[in-house]
Amino acid sequence: MAIFNLKKREIECKIVYYGPGRGGKTTNLEYIFKTFRKQITGEMVSINTEGDRTLFFDFLPMGLGKIKGCEVRVQLYTVPGQVQYSSTRKLVLRGVDGLVFVADSLKVRREKNMLSLKDLQKNLKEYGLNIFNVPLVLQYNKRDLGDQGIPIMTVEQMERDLNRQLKVPSFAGSAVNGDRVGETLKECLKLTLKSLHKELKWAQ
Amino acid sequence: MALKDSIKTILQEAELYHGQGLLAEAKEKYQQAQALIEGSEQVKNREKLLEGIHRKIAGIELHDQKVQQTAATSPELSEKARELIKRLFSFSKEESAEAAALEGAIALAKFGQFSSALTEFNKLIRKESHRTVAAKNILRCHIALASEKAAVKQYEEWVESDLFSVKQLESIRVFLEDNIPPEALEKPLSAPAAPAASAEEETAHVEEEFIDISSIGIPFESGPAQGKVIEFDVNFQSGNLLSLIVPQKEGNIIEDLAVGTKINDLQFYSPIAIFNGAGVVSEKSQIKSGPKQGDFCLDIEITST
Repeated sequence: MAIFNLKKREIECKIVYYGPGRGGKTTNLEYIFKTFRKQITGEMVSINTEGDRTLFFDFLPMGLGKIKGCEVRVQLYTVPGQVQYSSTRKLVLRGVDGLVFVADSLKVRREKNMLSLKDLQKNLKEYGLNIFNVPLVLQYNKRDLGDQGIPIMTVEQMERDLNRQLKVPSFAGSAVNGDRVGETLKECLKLTLKSLHKELKWAQ
Repeated sequence: MALKDSIKTILQEAELYHGQGLLAEAKEKYQQAQALIEGSEQVKNREKLLEGIHRKIAGIELHDQKVQQTAATSPELSEKARELIKRLFSFSKEESAEAAALEGAIALAKFGQFSSALTEFNKLIRKESHRTVAAKNILRCHIALASEKAAVKQYEEWVESDLFSVKQLESIRVFLEDNIPPEALEKPLSAPAAPAASAEEETAHVEEEFIDISSIGIPFESGPAQGKVIEFDVNFQSGNLLSLIVPQKEGNIIEDLAVGTKINDLQFYSPIAIFNGAGVVSEKSQIKSGPKQGDFCLDIEITST
């Protein structure tokens, strides 16, 4: 839940990158950390193990400057994607204001995408949140692997699997190459701030 | 497609999945290639290929074992990571430094950092306001570290000390009995030396010492949420009194919850346990101003657990 300091006119909100294991959530944050240096207000912290698998979460603080008279800060988190870390995912999800669901375009990961989205819906529900009401953006990651001859799903297929009912903005990209990473985040921020503005009515 | 090309394609796919960390998928592809090669005597360098694939599969299986071990016992994190966890997962900074410290310690425990959490709880046990909650979490950490004996020993030390009141000790004793495997108790836990609490004192005891509750599940028997259990975050807790903020748009759900309404089968979610109980709506109002204007403030007093 966003922290809103009326006196100081500061807002701090939380965006969580969710999705199946190895789908590219951490890669998204790493790219953002590397590319949007001006907006980064602290270090990126990754609590991982075995070199590259997120065990607990990644964290990246950003500052967006003044928006409608309020200083806006954003905290980006990722969750561990593997099935066995369900309780950690729920913990990190607490107080979420906006979500990026990073789906894996590989055909072999189709079921994992859907299970992860269902897991997200369940965890949100346990916090009294409805997935249809939380600012959410989908990213269809790893599109670059199609060029290497590896079977990937079409965007249309992924839209049918994941976005048929949600009907949220979606971006087909490649986090490892940085394709559409920025756009995904910007859209999520736009939706989140719009929602917060409506909720908190912070306009000057 | 010729057999050779099929094997090559499958192995390429396996290598890519392996590189992506998708080990189950990689293993499946290696096994697929293995089956194809084993099924044909014509494949060139057959033995060498099979040996290579066998090594890849063995490597994946070894990695899987390590992952399982990591999942079973959370690794100890750096001091920096632990401080970050305490900072990011304490939500009461604005209200009270002690409440925030307690939340931070609980977050450490939730992330499996039991040794560090113990250190934090042992600091908090000196504060009257959170003494009992800290004590219960200390015992919980010992149990999580498979040190039931340490938990029992700690409790017995507290009985001998004058740190806790009789009521507090009794609450801790009951908590320990409920959470420790029976086989870990060589003898019954020492009861605090005082007469058994009367019903009135027990009620007062429930009011004074209460485990930190992070959210509450309310079953609705009428209204739009009839038949469902909706979970609400606890905005503030004072003993057995929980304050919830219900967004304005969900006001219709709590329409039938008037002051005085008794609710059975409440579900309380604390950092270390989920338990059921009953409560009564003690206050309900709509926030008139500020960032939460329009939202509802609902207070629930826990009457039994």
